[in-house]
Amino acid sequence: MSTKRSSKQRRKSAQLGALPLTSMIDVVFLLLIFFLVTANFSKQEHKLPATLQTEGGGVRSSDLQPQILQIRLQNSNPIFVMGEVVVDNRDSLEAFLSGLPKEPGVAIRSEPDVPISAIAVALQAARNAGFQKRSYVPSDSQ
Amino acid sequence: MSKRDGKSRHMINVDLTSMIDVVFQLIIFFMFTSQFGELRRTEIDLPRQPGDESAVRLEPAMIIDLTNEGLYLVESTSASLAEIERLAAIGVANQVPEDPFDVLIRPDRNASAIHLDRLLLRLSNTGVQRWKLATVDEGGGA
Repeated sequence: MSTKRSSKQRRKSAQLGALPLTSMIDVVFLLLIFFLVTANFSKQEHKLPATLQTEGGGVRSSDLQPQILQIRLQNSNPIFVMGEVVVDNRDSLEAFLSGLPKEPGVAIRSEPDVPISAIAVALQAARNAGFQKRSYVPSDSQ
Repeated sequence: MSKRDGKSRHMINVDLTSMIDVVFQLIIFFMFTSQFGELRRTEIDLPRQPGDESAVRLEPAMIIDLTNEGLYLVESTSASLAEIERLAAIGVANQVPEDPFDVLIRPDRNASAIHLDRLLLRLSNTGVQRWKLATVDEGGGA
């Protein structure tokens, strides 16, 4: 009888001393799953900053005339025109823009049907070429 | 005496497992809901460019989504150009010199430039001077 009691008491004290970790582990796994899932929820987005310039406004007369880069469509493909130079991809455009003076900045304008991806290409090329002043001139063709 | 001891030992042994479960569930709930603000982005096929990593990563004052069909969305809700102009005017009126009002445009890469031009002209009318184009980096050039 005494042996039975002592083993019961021992079991009881062992029960009191043990921490119930099961629920904690459950919760930790829930958190782990949460972070694993949320880390892939959305793609990392980047930004291409530019200023806004409208024709006839926003530029002081003392400002240098920016170099104007036109984006047009040729056989449904965008081309980039500056003066007499015509290029059709970002690398060539970047190489060309790198050779231009940077102080006046670059103004980008496009034809209405040009896809916005081409504008992003022009802004990216201007940024990579080292232009600090990059502006986009929206055309008033409402 | 021994009976009282046993009683008090029994009272001290409060089961906290359920409490911890509930607390962690609440934490998870709040973590999820606090993410919803950022996740409330419309699925848009953004231009694929690496963007400007040196750009200051401040949250823009206003985010406008532009779909392939030329729909403008603010906070995932369709908005007319007049509404956007009104919202931008409020933002410009409340801007401070240290933190000028800027706009992030998230366009579909295949949307026509005319939709971007219309939007930028409206923003320009309200005095917005800085804007950013959202892109995703998928290692693609033009």
